[in-house]
Amino acid sequence: MNNRFQSIFIIIFVFVLWEVLTHALNIKWYLLPPPSMILGSIFQNFSSLMESMLVTLKVTLIALSMSVLISVSLAILFYLSKILERSMMPITVVLQVTPIIAIAPLISIWVDSSEMATLICAFLVAFFPLLTNTITGLKSTEKNHLDLMRLYRANKLELMRFVVLPNALPYFLSGLKISTGLALIGAIVGEFVIGPISGHSGLAYRIIESGYQLEIPKMFSSVFLISIMGIVLYNVVRLLSYYILKNWHSSYSHTD
Amino acid sequence: MSLRVLSDSDRRSKLQTDQEKVIAQLHQVSKKYKGAQSNALENIDIDVFQQDFLSILGPSGCGKTTILKMMCGLARPTSGRIEWPTSNFQNSPQNPANLSFVFQEPNLLPWMNVYENIKLPLKILKEDNYRADEKIYEIINLVGLNGFERYYPKQLSGGMSMRVSIARALVTQPKVLLMDEPFSALDENRRFELSQEILKIKKEKNLTVVYVTHSIYESVYLSDRIYVMQSHPGKIFKEFDFAGIEKNEDYRFSSEFFEQVKIVSDSLKGVKFE
Repeated sequence: MNNRFQSIFIIIFVFVLWEVLTHALNIKWYLLPPPSMILGSIFQNFSSLMESMLVTLKVTLIALSMSVLISVSLAILFYLSKILERSMMPITVVLQVTPIIAIAPLISIWVDSSEMATLICAFLVAFFPLLTNTITGLKSTEKNHLDLMRLYRANKLELMRFVVLPNALPYFLSGLKISTGLALIGAIVGEFVIGPISGHSGLAYRIIESGYQLEIPKMFSSVFLISIMGIVLYNVVRLLSYYILKNWHSSYSHTD
Repeated sequence: MSLRVLSDSDRRSKLQTDQEKVIAQLHQVSKKYKGAQSNALENIDIDVFQQDFLSILGPSGCGKTTILKMMCGLARPTSGRIEWPTSNFQNSPQNPANLSFVFQEPNLLPWMNVYENIKLPLKILKEDNYRADEKIYEIINLVGLNGFERYYPKQLSGGMSMRVSIARALVTQPKVLLMDEPFSALDENRRFELSQEILKIKKEKNLTVVYVTHSIYESVYLSDRIYVMQSHPGKIFKEFDFAGIEKNEDYRFSSEFFEQVKIVSDSLKGVKFE
């Protein structure tokens, strides 16, 4: 609890310092607006910003669910079939190492629906850490646990259910922590390149808009909201992971 | 009666008189690992009699564990054969319901609590029926785990984890219990405590136990018979019989016990122990 207060205190301190310095050094508001002005801008444009936030949130969450579904299925397939892994893993690596900003224009040409195109961008960025982490988790099953299952002549399904999948869970969850942030980044980058999603602009498009109209505080408020979203999403996953693993995993000591 | 070394002819006569009590027999079993130059195990002959407490004593790396793994089907002999005179079993001898294995480490599944860990074999063997809970709680009582049912493995001490491991092995009501140095990671007191309980459980459940260890004290304290092994290649070079010696709590502190430890130790001169 002490640590939490400490970090909140530091955040408040940074904002206060920012506020004071922008006034004291007489920094132009269109270069760096003080926090109070950003906050004012959020309240001024509250309904439109919230609407945009929901658009971005929706893309992020759908892309993240898609990543979870597809990467876990692929990981299990790769675990069961070495041939499949050897032949398909390189493709996923290519998709991962090619910068999304370079593929996004192509996707927007190939896919008619702007919503689908943005989703694909976010998905492509988010799914790789989930895939590699889950595969590592599946493969790191202890030999003794497998022997135990063999002793009782467990079938493949029981082997997966009782041993292999639970063993992969912590790895999957740590992949999920990374991918949640990446899905948000993918959604923002996608919208930057592809444009508003079926006529509704998300937070990324608000940044571009405000840039055109030189509404710098509004631009900052969009950025601010994106960060808040990222922090909230990350913490939701962190808590989820805590409640799933706290009883048994060594990364959480049972005394706290 | 007291401790004696069995010669080949003693063995043959014992086999003849106790023929119907034989539960498992290893005939000239050898094991060679892929890519290895020489045999890991060579011409192992072991007879397991009903309700025997049999120890396999030997230095680390002599292949004791491999013998157990071959007995329960986790490894295959390169040559030789393992027989289970089936008259002693209801169905297939290596059926997991007849044979249980206690690993060197507790080998519990960390994502399951004590109760779920013990229940796991019943689930896999499709015996997860209305009688399952009765069986599980009987075993929990027997090994002294009352009140720990909802604990997770990481909350348990080494000794407690081993109790869960033993309970899991017993829940299928096996005839034969194979134990692979189960207490080697525990401190002296815990070791003694659990050895005592194994003797008690063996008596209560009419179990046959095959116990692998590198501790001379432990093997003398627990066993009716001891096979002593040497390594490189793993071979049996002596067999001790404790026929008629009552192994109770007093035995551990009797002069008889220490004499017998000395006899077994002397026989091991020249064999490297760790």
